[in-house]
Amino acid sequence: MKKIAIIEDETAIRENYMEMLTAQGYMVSGYCDRQTAERALNDGLPDLAIVDIGLGHEIDGGFLLCQTLRTLSKTLPIIFLTARDSEIDTVCGLRMGADDYLTKDISMAHLAARIGALFRRMEALEQPADETALINRGLLMLDTKRMQVFWQQQLVDLTVTEFWMVHSLAQRPGHVKSRNELMSDAKIYVDDSTITSHVKRIRKKFIALDAGFDCIDTVYGMGYRWEQL
Amino acid sequence: MLRLGLRSKFIFLSCFLLLLPWLGYEYVWEMEKFLRQGQEKTLVGTTRALATALHERPALFDSQSNFLDQVVKGRDLYAYNLNNPIQLDGKLSDWQPYQNLIWHYDERYLQGDKTNHQSADLSFDHMVGKYGEFLYAVFKVTDNSLIYRAKNSLSLTRNDHLQIMLKTPEGKFKHYIVAARQDGWVNAFDAQTNNPFTKIQGYFTSTATGYNIELRFPLSMLGNKLGFAIEDWDSKKVEPQLMSTSNILNPNDIGSVLVPSPEINRILKGMGHSGSRIWVVDNHHRVLAQSGSIHHADGVWADGITDKPAKTWWQRFEQNYLHPLYYKVLTRPENEFLDTLHDVAAMQGSHIGKALRGTPASSWRLTPDNKAVILSAAYPIWINDKVIGAVIAEETTNGVRTLRNKSLEKLFNVILAVMLIGTVTLFFFASRISNRIRRLRDTAEQAIDAQGRVTGTINYSDSNDEIGDLSRSFASIVSRLGGYTDYLETMSSRLSHELRTPVAVVRSSLENLQMQPQNELSQKYLDRASEGVERLGKIITTMSEATRLEQSIQSNEPEPFELQKVVSGCMQGYQLTYPQQAFTLTICDSSLPLMGAPEFIAQLLDKLINNALEFNLDDNAISITLQKDDNNAVLSVKNKGPILPQGLAEHIFDSMVSVRSQQLQQQPHLGLGLYIVRLVCEYHKGSVTALNNQQNDGVEFIVRLPLSKDTSEKS
Repeated sequence: MKKIAIIEDETAIRENYMEMLTAQGYMVSGYCDRQTAERALNDGLPDLAIVDIGLGHEIDGGFLLCQTLRTLSKTLPIIFLTARDSEIDTVCGLRMGADDYLTKDISMAHLAARIGALFRRMEALEQPADETALINRGLLMLDTKRMQVFWQQQLVDLTVTEFWMVHSLAQRPGHVKSRNELMSDAKIYVDDSTITSHVKRIRKKFIALDAGFDCIDTVYGMGYRWEQL
Repeated sequence: MLRLGLRSKFIFLSCFLLLLPWLGYEYVWEMEKFLRQGQEKTLVGTTRALATALHERPALFDSQSNFLDQVVKGRDLYAYNLNNPIQLDGKLSDWQPYQNLIWHYDERYLQGDKTNHQSADLSFDHMVGKYGEFLYAVFKVTDNSLIYRAKNSLSLTRNDHLQIMLKTPEGKFKHYIVAARQDGWVNAFDAQTNNPFTKIQGYFTSTATGYNIELRFPLSMLGNKLGFAIEDWDSKKVEPQLMSTSNILNPNDIGSVLVPSPEINRILKGMGHSGSRIWVVDNHHRVLAQSGSIHHADGVWADGITDKPAKTWWQRFEQNYLHPLYYKVLTRPENEFLDTLHDVAAMQGSHIGKALRGTPASSWRLTPDNKAVILSAAYPIWINDKVIGAVIAEETTNGVRTLRNKSLEKLFNVILAVMLIGTVTLFFFASRISNRIRRLRDTAEQAIDAQGRVTGTINYSDSNDEIGDLSRSFASIVSRLGGYTDYLETMSSRLSHELRTPVAVVRSSLENLQMQPQNELSQKYLDRASEGVERLGKIITTMSEATRLEQSIQSNEPEPFELQKVVSGCMQGYQLTYPQQAFTLTICDSSLPLMGAPEFIAQLLDKLINNALEFNLDDNAISITLQKDDNNAVLSVKNKGPILPQGLAEHIFDSMVSVRSQQLQQQPHLGLGLYIVRLVCEYHKGSVTALNNQQNDGVEFIVRLPLSKDTSEKS
């Protein structure tokens, strides 16, 4: 049974999530602040951590906790689930080593899907690559099982949200995906400008590997498309 | 309404400085009054000093006719001081200057029978004068028949002749007769002895109306009594007519003669340097002695003041420019003036009268030509408790006036300087104040833009005065206003942040509830609640959209892009999204390169199109135009529909301003759409305006975005 830790200072939300996830068959433990969470997690790491950024009096308690957890484990999936939707917080959170950054607008179902996806990826990584799960689009290779993306044989470090977006685009190259489509494929509900910044981040990650990368094309007024080279 | 600046007000106020010269003038005028009083006192002092020298010295006055109770003009003679020598030639030109002193004798002076007398028969003009040691006398006789002394006649009196009766200094009476045989030199004869008396010399000339006699004799032989008589013999009449100055037949009746006293004159000479004209008169108003000239008698007041030649540039400037100005107001005392002609045989004046009654007095008078004021003072001379005469001193006020002018010159100089400095200082002070106020006004106006947004802070001044206070309070007002505006503009983001957690609580609770099996009724309510929360979530997302845009604007790096591409791409998208809506698109051909973020422009277009769609009425086409204007790309979006409310055209671009009628309020509106448009425009250094179209049946939004320079130069 997978163990999930929820660190969230708002009792109602924490309880709701805990109950929902328990109902999904996870073993859930909840903590209301950083100190109790650190003490408990030091004794034994969970399989996944859902962290709020603002914890009680500590405005950036979630970030500190994320750093602590990362020192304890390199592979532990961490999801930020927060009310803070600013660009800076998102970038910060992902730079801390979080696997995803979600706002509290997300529905329970989507959250559950995401958690499921993360666990699946974890499991898939331990198994040999499955040829049938691979999608090849020129220099791009997607491993749908492991949720990994390769560009010119190099791994592109994408979050689950980003993977789903790339997956959505690359599935039908040349076809325009509107922002709403991307949103539903990525199982998030955000506004247009958040999608724009997600796409920008994805581009940057590709460009970091290949300066000439120019496959994600903006179609103004409609959305984005994957341009097959 | 005339607008008066601070400066002009100050200049106007400084006009009150003009009161200064008036005050100064008044002050100097007062001073002059005091000086005049001082001069009066001094002059009275001078007369007193002189009178002191003359008191109780009967010897000086004995020879004079003080014993007389009264002096009658014509009868009592006065030997006027003659300024020029008289040539004995029978011509009267020498006497011309004394014309008005010559006394006319007519029938009033006729002795004996006065009937049947005609002025043509006999009358004469006569005066006596003193020159040197001689007494001169002149007679202009009118006589219709002149009878000379017969050539062979021994008799002196059976013809027209002149009789002289005088009292010698020794007290003897002498009687002389002057009779001419012909025109020319004549001598006198002693009336008793008929011997010629050569001390009396004369000249006889016949004229058309009669004859003239000029004669002289030494003063040494003259006492204090003198009388003349003309005896006229006519061929037709038997009895001669006798016309005389006084009754010479009776020694007691002979008129007196007054000769100015040389002794008193000597004493006066000693006082002659007092700077006054001084007279000594006897108690019959007759001048005994005189010294000084009124033209030099300005007192001693102006002695120290002399007009030196200008040496320094300042003195030259003063003399050449300032003094002509001053003397338009001031009058320079003139040395050339006409004095009243005094009859020294009968000095007139209230002060003389008073002095002769025993009271020192003084008086002022104006010269006949109004050019000078003369101050006179008189002081009585006492002998044995009896006023025997008076000392009169006269001075002009020219000295005082010169003194006054000098001090006024100086005063005017000072006042001019004070006024100049005062006006200039006031002017600069006013300029500085008005400059500071204007600067404050400008910064205050710049601190808040036309839409009422705070665009900057005011640099307040440190100066410790009211204007400094004003600028500081302005600064604090602006900063507080800025704080409030910031608060308003960030309110939506903070609100959305604060709301997100409770919404998450509700949403997660509802979702948990959804997982439980529900009966139909509770499922219905659950669905409604979920829908409500969904809408709430949407509102929250919209609210934070602007904030997120602001944040991404801050972190965004501008990139070059083509505006047409973005616009045409977006328009295709809209056409797909809203297939039932007609769009008219006009895009110019020239390239419109821009530096910025294309996705922001797309967002801007989204908002404008959304806005147009919302307000568009009756399925009219929404018209989108993109044009190039100089170095600007001009994008306009037009739709038919309700026009903008007046006065709100600028404010619709502000945060959380929404102008919608009730029927359009189907969806939540926070008034952030056009605020985002504004933000994007500002990011691209452009502008956005909203206006009603010319037909007043729709609205047009115009976005101006400056093209990027590098690429526009290339194209």
